[in-house]
Formats: sequence, C-alpha cells, structure tokens
Amino acid sequence: MTSRCARLLLLAASVTGLATHPAIAKEGFLLEDEVALCASCHGEDGVPVDPAYPVIWGQQYFYIYTQLRDYGAGRRENDIMTGIAAEYDRDQAKTLAEHFAALAWPEIPVQLQDGDPALAEKGITGGQCSACHGKWQGDSRIPRLAGQQPGYLAQTMRDFKNDVRMNAPDKNSTMKQLDEATIEALSRYLADVDVQ
Amino acid sequence: MRDWSRLAATLVAALVASGSAHAQEETSASTLYGDLQSVTQSMLSRAAGDGNNFLHPNANYAQTRYYPASQINTGNVRSLRPAWIFQTEIVDTMETSPIVVNGVMYVTTAFNHVYALDARTGKQIWHHKHAMGPVTTYCCGPNNRGVAVAGDKVFMGTLDAKLVALDAKTGKQLWETQIAEAELGYSETMAPSVVENMVLIGTNGGEYGIRGFVKAFDTETGELIWTFHTVPEDSVGVWATHDATGRDMHRDIEAEKAALETMGDPYETLGGGVWQNPAVDLESRRIYFVVGNPSPDLDGSLRPGDNLYTDSLVSVNLDTGEYVCHFQYIAHDVWDLDAVSPPIITTVKDDAGNDVKGILHGGKTGHVYVHKADDCSMIRYSEAMVPQEDMWTLPTAEGARMLPGANGGVEWSPMAIDPSLHLSYAINLHQPMTYTVRSTPYPEGKLWLGGSFDVIPDEAQWGNVTAIDYNTGDIAWQVRTAEPMIGGILATAGGLVFTGEGNGLFKAYDSSNGGELWRFQAGAGVNAPPSSYTVEGRQYIVVAAGGNAQLNYKRGNNIIAFTLAD
Repeated sequence: MTSRCARLLLLAASVTGLATHPAIAKEGFLLEDEVALCASCHGEDGVPVDPAYPVIWGQQYFYIYTQLRDYGAGRRENDIMTGIAAEYDRDQAKTLAEHFAALAWPEIPVQLQDGDPALAEKGITGGQCSACHGKWQGDSRIPRLAGQQPGYLAQTMRDFKNDVRMNAPDKNSTMKQLDEATIEALSRYLADVDVQ
Repeated sequence: MRDWSRLAATLVAALVASGSAHAQEETSASTLYGDLQSVTQSMLSRAAGDGNNFLHPNANYAQTRYYPASQINTGNVRSLRPAWIFQTEIVDTMETSPIVVNGVMYVTTAFNHVYALDARTGKQIWHHKHAMGPVTTYCCGPNNRGVAVAGDKVFMGTLDAKLVALDAKTGKQLWETQIAEAELGYSETMAPSVVENMVLIGTNGGEYGIRGFVKAFDTETGELIWTFHTVPEDSVGVWATHDATGRDMHRDIEAEKAALETMGDPYETLGGGVWQNPAVDLESRRIYFVVGNPSPDLDGSLRPGDNLYTDSLVSVNLDTGEYVCHFQYIAHDVWDLDAVSPPIITTVKDDAGNDVKGILHGGKTGHVYVHKADDCSMIRYSEAMVPQEDMWTLPTAEGARMLPGANGGVEWSPMAIDPSLHLSYAINLHQPMTYTVRSTPYPEGKLWLGGSFDVIPDEAQWGNVTAIDYNTGDIAWQVRTAEPMIGGILATAGGLVFTGEGNGLFKAYDSSNGGELWRFQAGAGVNAPPSSYTVEGRQYIVVAAGGNAQLNYKRGNNIIAFTLAD
C-alpha cells in the first residue's frame, strides 16, 4: 500500500457517514483530479498497489458505474471506496467509468499451481459460474475476471461466502459451496486466463 | 454451378475494385445462390408443409418442429455425412435455430452476430455484427436463439433490449427500436416471430425484477402496435395451494395475505419473462406462449399472491394483444421450475376421446402438459420424464434438496412432435440441486434471485430423450444420455428425431422406438435446435455446435450441415 493510499484510508474513515446521504454532484469535479485519486490505489499504470485491490483499467463500463453507485448508496461497503463514491452523482460516476473502461487492461503475471485447473473447473460447473461470467472477459454488468488480481478475486469470493460483501446477494450462497482450496485455485485460474 | 462461380468471381472483383472496408459486413447486393424472393405471408403460413425451406424458429406457426421431408430416413440415415462446416467469429455458447429461405441460411451467434450463408456450401454471403449498447443483460449466457424472416427483412432481438430489422440481401440494418429499458434488466435472447405486419417478441428479465411482456412491432417501421403485460396489475389470483398436478406447494397463505396488506401488489417488479416464441393460430387469431418465473426467483416473501401470469400458459388475441385465457402450472413459484419451452398446437384427444385442438408444453417440472386450445384448461399431464423427489420442499436458508433441480425437467429447449404417432419429443435434464432462500430488497435492475440454486457436486447428473404419447400421457420410449440435455430437437417425416448433447454428440433416433441410428462427434457441445431444408433436391440437417454457457459445455463456433453421402 502506498503512503497516499494509506492516507486515503484514514480520510475515508472520517467520511463514511456520507454513504447514507443521497448522492449529489461533487463540487469542483475534474476528471484529471479524480483519476489521480483513483491511481493512488489502483495504480498509475493500471497495476494496483496492493494485491487485494482490483484492476479497474479496462474493466466493464457498466460494472464500474454500478459499483460506484452501490458504494455511494451503501449497498457495497469498503473503508476507502464508500466515502469517495458517495460524493459522485450519476453523471460523474459514469464519466469515471467511461474513462477507466477505455484504458488497456494491464498484464499481471500469475503462477498456477498443480491441480488448479481441475479444481477450478469443478467449482465453476457446480456454481454455474459461466452462465453469467461466460469466458471471463466480462460484458456490461458482468465484470471481467480474466487477468484480475488473484488476491482480490480470492478476497471477493471469501467476502461473498462470509456475507461481508452484500451487493450481489445471489453470490453469497453460491460461494458458500466453495471450500478454501477451491477459492484459492479458482482465483489463480481466473487470473491466468488470457485477456481478449 | 458454373453460373454461381461466375457470380462469385464478379463479386470478388467488385469488392477488390471498390476497396470496401466493410466487405466483411456486406459482400453483395444479391445472393450467391438462387433468387432470394421475399418471404410471403403465404409461405410463412404454409411452412408446415414446406419441405424446402425452414422459415420459423420452430419450423411452423404451430411450432411442431416436424419437418415434412423424408429423403433422409430410417433406412439411409447411417449414410449421413457432413456436407459443410461454417465457423463463425464467435467461439461461444450457441442456441440458434437456423432459418433457410430458398437456399440461403440465417444463423446467429452469442453477442448478436448474424450470418447469411449459402445453404448448399456454407459459404458466407454477409455478416452483421450488432452495434451493442453499453448495457446488456443475461442470466444464462450471451445467447441468441435466431432470427425471424418476412418480406425482404431479417429480424433479431438483442442483449441490449433492441429489436433490429436487417436487409435480407445485404445484412444492412434498416431500423432498430428499443424494446424496453436495458438498465432495468430487460434483454432479448429469443428469436422473434413474424405474423403479417407484426414482429412478436417477449423479454428476458425474470431474474432481474422486470415486468414481463409480449410486444408486437410494425415490420416496416419498428413502431409498437400492442403490448401484453404478462403480469397484470392485480397479480394476486385465487391463492392456489396446489400445483397443476395436485401437489401441495406448502404456501403460507395467511402470511402472504398479511404481506399483501403491507406492501401492496408486487406487479411492477414481478418478473414473468417470455423466453420463447408463441405458437400462432391464424384460424382463431390467437397466440399461445408460456410465461416464466416470478422475481425474485426463490424468495416468495416479497411477492404475495399467485403471481399471475408467471409459470403459465397464456393466450392472447393476435391482433390486439388482449387476454383470452391462461392456465397457471405453479402459483407463487419459489423454485424457478417455470414454463419456458415453446408451446405446440396440435390435435389431441380430450378426456372423452374426441379430437380437439390442443396445446402441448414441456414443463421444467418434467411433465408434458396437454391443454384445450379454446380455454387453456388442462386435459392431462404426462408421466414425469425425470426424477421428482420431495416436491414441493420450500427453499431454506441452509439449502433444501428437491428434484428436479432448477434447470428442469425441460429447459428452454423446444420440443418436437410426430402427429402420425401422436408423440411429443423432449430433451431432459437431471441435475440434483439445493434451493436456498436469502431475502434482499429489489436491487434496481441487478440480478435478483432471492437466494441460489446450487448443483449438488457429488450427485450424478444425466439427461434423457423422451417420447410422450400426448393422448395418454404415457412415456412411449426414453433414452438416457450421459449429460443433462439442453438445446432442442427436430422430428422429420423420415421417421427420425435429431438432437445433440453437451459432449459434442449429435444423434439420430428412430422416432417410433428411440433406437439410435446415427451419431456424429461435433467437437463442441451441440446445444441448439436442429433444422432441416432441401436445396436442388437434396435434403440437409443443420445444427449449431457452440456449447452452452449455462451448463458449461465445451464452446465452439460451428454450423454443421449434413446430407446423405453420394
């Protein structure tokens, strides 16, 4: 975590109350400034500063937009993102989503372990994951998982499983079917899928 | 053949000369084969007896998927060989029903690509890629189940909830209309149907809290003609406690009535998608379609009442969209065991043994339901085609096992019939699942299942091909397959039924007894409905092999046409 990202975390802790307020336009919104704010955690070059943070460069436009909305409305909680997103109105959130969706997805090497594909495929078939996620490239409201940070993927699956993340509630019970070994294998497997 | 070669050479030369950057999308102003005459209403109306074309997604307005040609038959099907294979650009789930008009074939792929092909050779005539908007929705893969054809147009519904009309000769878009608001979860995967001046289409979205509908649009302009909401403003119904087969659904009616007092009628977000084509009865000027599950799928606490007309057969007036009749299979469904497979119009025996106009529907429950067409009432239901256990166990927070699993029974896969044998043919899934409920408020157009259906990892899964005598409800024959079946089936006058499997096998069975007569390994899941057609006196069977996202069957990109070896 960079020092700036750490400062954001502290700052966010003091403004989380904003999440309960209806989103209004952030005064003095300048895309350049907001992008710089995002880059302090999500990376200047698209590679996040922490393995637990998601890649957002090249992520699906509508997915980014709905996540910002959900953070702002309190449907998805995160110590940093909740306060930041609560300041944006819909147009501002869309502007940011358009910006990041248009960027190139970064390459982040990942090392598969023996047995990962078989364990991952079993979890995928049992959870009917490909019904929505297809070939993992994302589409509109479905996020790209291919090439995502394995740490973020694993943490997200655990957060669903443990009812920490609640803005896609149908995932909660699906993820409860997965044991830790499958989550780990699946996160590496998805991170290793080629981005198309 | 020589004429065709000259024409092709001319086209290539013209393209080179023009230096067109759009050659991939528009290769010609005319067809490579034959004279692409307009598809007339007479052709569409007489499709059941047309052994040359395949004009409707389910073969004809009655949706029998019974093809009248018999050149390929039980005596020679062993000689069936691939005539050609066309590979699309999109290697992904395929559910398209190939449409064939005078030697030109139209197929679609995932993400709304459309191809026109020479049906004799598989050579591409044109390729249209829909300019997809930023918001798409699908619960079960980025599917498309095909086009409708009429006049000189080709019609397709899209994942961003649009209806588009293309020029059949060039693939150029003529018009598009927004069917419903994509951001709220509306989208299209079904093939439209065309009757006279109307394009009929339903909507996906039962997993997203939409309010379902069937709409009719003007074929020339795309303007809306009528809308039938599949969920009426009074969706409460009669507080039915038992399903169509008489089984107790364990509803807590008093709790539902109390909830209704508190929250009012939930019709605005009650779901009720229409996933498949209506059967069209031009004689009575009615259409028949089935309505899918209520939203949220597994959580009934937020939607008191019978949730009319979800999980129902519905008939409306073709010209006005006005309600005629309905029959609800499962009131207040909390298992997503809804009604998806397209209904079929045919003559059936009533209880007294008299021939009456009937409607058949293969339910996700695993029954084939037989109805009277005039009032939608049920005459009988068939033996269960798949194991049923502990129906109707309510979903729990921990997950409750009940069979069938939530994919059915019979999924969206269309059935076929052979009227001479009074048999209906369905493909089935056996996928044991648990049903888990988790109540969450309406999430503004996001996926809203109200829980989950989860495959039980250690229990065996398999499929069936099942023939039901629809005049008795008895299983006439049944063949087990290695994997759950999804895609569709075709019957022919050659005494055959054709259907494919997720493991890549495409098979022909004797339609009278289920004997396997032929098979082909396609290399990817064959999970789309087959079609048939005849060009220059040669009959073909054609099917897409692109796998299936919902069941995670191996993806591919092949359209494969078969004909008899010389």
